[in-house]
Amino acid sequence: MRYMVMLTMRSDVGPPPPELVEAMDVAMTEAVGSGLLIDAGGLMGEDATTFTLRSGALARVDGPFAEAKEVVGGYSVLDVRSHEEAVEGARRMMQIHLDHWPGWEGSCDVRRISGREEGPPTS
Amino acid sequence: MTTTTHEAVVAVWQLESARVVSGLLRITRDLQLAEDLAQDALVAALESWPDDGIPANPGAWLMTVAKRRAIDTFRRAERHRAHVERIGHDLSEASMDELVDQVDHVEDDVLRLMFLTCHPALTPESRAALTLRLVGGLTTEEIARGFLVKDTAVGQRISRAKRTLAESGATLEMPTGAERTERLDDVMAVIYLVFNEGYAATAGTSWMRTDLCLEALRLARMLAALAPGDAEVHGLQALLELQASRLHARTTSTGEAVLLEEQDRARWDHLLIRRGLAALARAEGTGQPVGAYTVQAAIAACHARARRAEDTDWVRIAALYDLLSAAGDNPVVEVNRSAAHGRAFGPAAGLAVLDAVAHDAGAAYGHQWHAVRGDLLSRAGRGTEASAEFRTAASLTRNDAERSLLLRRAESG
Repeated sequence: MRYMVMLTMRSDVGPPPPELVEAMDVAMTEAVGSGLLIDAGGLMGEDATTFTLRSGALARVDGPFAEAKEVVGGYSVLDVRSHEEAVEGARRMMQIHLDHWPGWEGSCDVRRISGREEGPPTS
Repeated sequence: MTTTTHEAVVAVWQLESARVVSGLLRITRDLQLAEDLAQDALVAALESWPDDGIPANPGAWLMTVAKRRAIDTFRRAERHRAHVERIGHDLSEASMDELVDQVDHVEDDVLRLMFLTCHPALTPESRAALTLRLVGGLTTEEIARGFLVKDTAVGQRISRAKRTLAESGATLEMPTGAERTERLDDVMAVIYLVFNEGYAATAGTSWMRTDLCLEALRLARMLAALAPGDAEVHGLQALLELQASRLHARTTSTGEAVLLEEQDRARWDHLLIRRGLAALARAEGTGQPVGAYTVQAAIAACHARARRAEDTDWVRIAALYDLLSAAGDNPVVEVNRSAAHGRAFGPAAGLAVLDAVAHDAGAAYGHQWHAVRGDLLSRAGRGTEASAEFRTAASLTRNDAERSLLLRRAESG
């Protein structure tokens, strides 16, 4: 099973402290080495564009945004055997933020990616 | 954090078990004892985590509990007094931070464990079962399901393997030089065996058993991270990532097999393809001579890079099969080489390669020989002969999905 873990935070959170970067490097190297983490990326904020479709009208807003807002700041894709394994992967990432980024606040969504990755329906 | 279930504890356990077992093995030098202690730690986690929540560093927690049990065990057995002193000393001096460090820096331990579970004293089946159990952290039931055998059979196989290892005096020493290369080959062969058991399920009603493939892929990723200086481990990882990228395109929604060239390439897993190509580049980037897994990965990469079946670089694939062929006497390689030559240079060229391959109905590759011959004859416009070959191939395969595919081809000639 494949999961996407998305990290949501305020857009004006600023650069992460070096301690966090270092701890995340260690954790990600380990997770890649165990076969758990198969893709990851940070999402840049500056050039973000948002389309909205409301009441039949399509609107476009280009960043950077004047006001701080909640954004998805990064994601990782996990290859797991169970939902609980994905949850544990996400918990570890949040624990690292708790331990190494004082004052940081945010949330983390653990979502199963549906479809073909799950293998043929007959198995 | 109040919903720590049994499943959650087991999931954490599976993530940590290889390192916990291998770390305990370093201390106890006894595989059975190491596994028993690790199981004790799992039981302790199942007792306390549902109420207390998962600890911040679960690996260190499990290791601490297991080490305490190790000391208790040795204390009870007086004849192991020497061990008590050594381990007691280790633990009393170990602060939590040091334990965390030990859990974080045991890559060598896991590699040693893999060398042991894939030890030459064991049969290939035992190596696979023991590796899935101790390195993959799978239960006996999960392994049995993967190999379509009874739980008790897997349990017995694992117990016997542990006894064999103890009796053969297999050690935990890290092999070096030529021995390391050989032992690494053994580990790779086990991972490849597990993958193929899932990918081309030799018997049964399902064309493949995806779970087993993914376990093998996980082991290949682990090995590549543990021995990154060895080209061939990256070749193996590349091969399995690329093969796995086609897992869900290989069957229809009703479970019928789909041949590579007829697969919907949009259903290929492009994340795994990207990872496979990257691993292949790592293998080739070491500058070491490439081995059979890397060459096979290069062949798989030719397919992966072709956006349409007709874009496939068959001339390059034929050349890569020639490389494999020159490396050893393997009839399965020759059968595939004939198919590649057929595509690259015409059916007559393919038949020339194939007809030079010794074959008999009893050979494990017998159905493939006839299936490829049928394909080449069909492309040469010899429909009647082709149908006969497909029917012979269908009578030889033990896989239901493959049989119906071959019978369909026999109908169309």
